[in-house]
This record gives sequence, structure tokens and C-alpha cells, in this order.
Amino acid sequence: MSGDKIRVDCARFGEILHDIDRPGALDPGLVESALAHAESCSDCARLLTEAESLDLGLRTLVAQEANLQASPRVEKALLREFRDQKAAVARRRFQWQVAVLGAAAATILAIGLVLHQRLAPKGGNNVAQQSPQVAPIVAPRNTQIQQAAQSQANNSEYAADFVSLPYADDPSTLDDGAVVRVNLSRSALAALGMPVADTGDAETIPADLVLGEDGTPEAIRLVSQTTSEQSF
Amino acid sequence: MTTQATEITDDGLLRRIIAGDEEAFKLLYRRTHPAIYRYALRMSGNVALAEDVVQEVFMTLIRDAKRFDPARGTLGGFLFGVARNHLRKRWEQEKRSVPLPADIEETGSRHLGGPNGNGFSAAADSSLESIETAVRVRQAIATLPENYREAVVLCELEEMSYEEAAVALDCPIGTVRSRLHRARTMLVEKLREGHAMSKTSGVRE
Repeated sequence: MSGDKIRVDCARFGEILHDIDRPGALDPGLVESALAHAESCSDCARLLTEAESLDLGLRTLVAQEANLQASPRVEKALLREFRDQKAAVARRRFQWQVAVLGAAAATILAIGLVLHQRLAPKGGNNVAQQSPQVAPIVAPRNTQIQQAAQSQANNSEYAADFVSLPYADDPSTLDDGAVVRVNLSRSALAALGMPVADTGDAETIPADLVLGEDGTPEAIRLVSQTTSEQSF
Repeated sequence: MTTQATEITDDGLLRRIIAGDEEAFKLLYRRTHPAIYRYALRMSGNVALAEDVVQEVFMTLIRDAKRFDPARGTLGGFLFGVARNHLRKRWEQEKRSVPLPADIEETGSRHLGGPNGNGFSAAADSSLESIETAVRVRQAIATLPENYREAVVLCELEEMSYEEAAVALDCPIGTVRSRLHRARTMLVEKLREGHAMSKTSGVRE
């Protein structure tokens, strides 16, 4: 501070009157000058007294009302709301997690299906390469029987009933097992308990195999076509 | 309240509240709600409305605590701002005008000095004169226009700085300062009138 006394007149006093008692609101030098002015001016002295009286009333009011607070009912209601809100958030979070898990599972399933579809033909080719005599698996038996009947009509094909293989242990496969058309050599047929007489030029004989769930042949029937001369 | 509890800042409590800590909510509520309640009561003069405002302010905090931006001011200022908005909304809904001094007097006697009231502080100056002055000041505040009443309630009764009040009232600091000066001048005039009237009635008696 320069030390020069700040001049305060009545107008200036009126401007700063209500900040005189407010800590930090005014420069201490200005407050000192204002108080000095009030000592020499009766009007401003009266204003200062009235302002101090107001301050006293306000301070008393503050002290009287210091312990005022809302009833405990409000706090109870708010705590109940807090718990409800917390539970709702937890519920939403759980639902969100379930949705994410579901989406992830669906994605994995979709990827699995795509991979399966892409890899399945390759697997079929491999099988075909490894055992070229095996014809592609066509359908469940009921469908196969219909197809076989159509085939008979179209290609003059004839097939006897299925005969259970000696080691077959699951008779139900005759009803719902998969049917595979294969070309078997006579020695293979003999191994399955189906000896076949010499048929001339044909080295293999077409046959339908009924497969169990584990892929084990459960029954067999030989297929005769007009061009072939297999005997049963 | 424990020493440990008082050491936790409002912002720290708010973070815990957002994480779902009920104890933190209870602490913050008990710490901050009396000021909000007093503000609402002084502004409305209605105990039920003041409690409703407190409830709505803290409901807002429960449901949308992230609305508070520490960069814009203190949590206290934010809560006062929310309280102010709720009060105004309620006034608009109910088409209520400025409360009558009689309402204030009624609630004041119930809360501040009535036989069942719990408002008197042990620190309060219990002299009859200061109590009478306080009653007159309370009545005078209740008759102020809303903008001026807000400035007095926040800066004088809640002892906020001009900066804090400016955040709560969403206006410049200079506006707070000028409103407060004008409000104090009006209060002095009202007290002067009241004093003159009581002197007159005293002479008649």
C-alpha cells in the first residue's frame, strides 16, 4: 500500500457501506477511511449503525436456524430410493451382460456354422479319396427308401430287404439309421457274412449299408441293376 | 460425525455415491442438506415445500450424479442451483406468489422458538433484543423480491462468498454484489420503518 489516505465522501460511503464488515471485500485502508468519515458525518454514522444492527439481526438469525433440518422421513425416503436405484442399476448391468454373452454365443455359433459348412465338403472329398468305393451319404433311411424306390423305377434297380449284420447290436438303426450306398468287393462282402458268387467282370458290387450312430454298419442289402448280374 | 468422515471431501463422497456406496450418500446428505433445507424454507416459507425441494435435490443426485461438473464450481453451489430450479418449477406449477410474512412467522415459530422447536442454538445470543431484531429481520427478508431475497439468504444467512452465490444463482459476481447491496438497503429501510412503527405504538400504549 502506498500509505496515501483514501478519500471517502458520503456518496462513496453509501457505495461501500454493506461491505465494510464483510471480510476481504474491501481494502483495509478503504475501510479505515470509511470509518473515519462516519465519525465526522452524522448521516453516515446513522447508516453505519443501522447496517450494524442489520448484521446483528442476521447473525442472530443464522445462529437460531443453525440446527434446522428436514425431518428424518426425507432421509428415509431418499435412502429407499438410493437402494432401489442401485438395484435397478445392478439389474440393468446384469441384463446387459446377458445380452453381451448372448450376442457372443450367437457370434461363435455363426462362426462355427460357417466353418463347418466350409470344412464339410473338404472332409467329404477326403473320405472319397481315402475310400473311393464309398458313395456319398444321402439321407436318413425313410428318404433313402423312397429314393431307392424311385431309383428302381428309373434305373431298373432292384434291392432286397436289409439284413442285419452278424455283430449288429442296435436293431433301432433299421428304422432311423443313415443309409450309405457303397461298392464292396466280394471279399469285403464275405467278411460281412454275405458270400457272393463270381459275377464275371464286376470287381465290386453295389450295396446299401445302414449305419448306426457311431458309424458302424448295422445292416446291409445288395443292390441289383439290370446291367449287373449279382446273385444274392 | 467422525473425524474420518469430516475429512472426506464432498467430491470424494460423490465418487463413492456414483459407485453405489450408501454410507457415502448418507454422509453427504447429512452434511449438506441442512443448508439446502434452510435455503428452501427461507425462500418459500413453507416447511412441506422445503422438504419436497430437499428430497428432489437429492433424488437428482441419486439418479444423475454425473450432472455435477467440478470445473463449474463446488458441489454445494450445484445443489443450491438444483434447489433453486426446483423451487421455481414448483412456484410455476402452483402459481404461488412470494410467501406472506405470516407464513414465515408460522414456520419460524415452529422451527425457531416454539415450545417443540429444536432451532435454538446454544451459541445463539439469547438476549431479548437480539431475538426481537432477528424476528424483524426474518419478516423483512420474507417481503423482499425473490432475486434480492436469494442474495441475502445465500450471502448473509448461508455465508456464501460472492463467487459461490454466483454459481448457485447462475449469474455474474457483480450481479450478486449489487443485488445484495440493494437488498440490504431495503432491509435497513424496512427495519427503520418497523422501529418507527413500534415506537409509535409504544407511545400510544
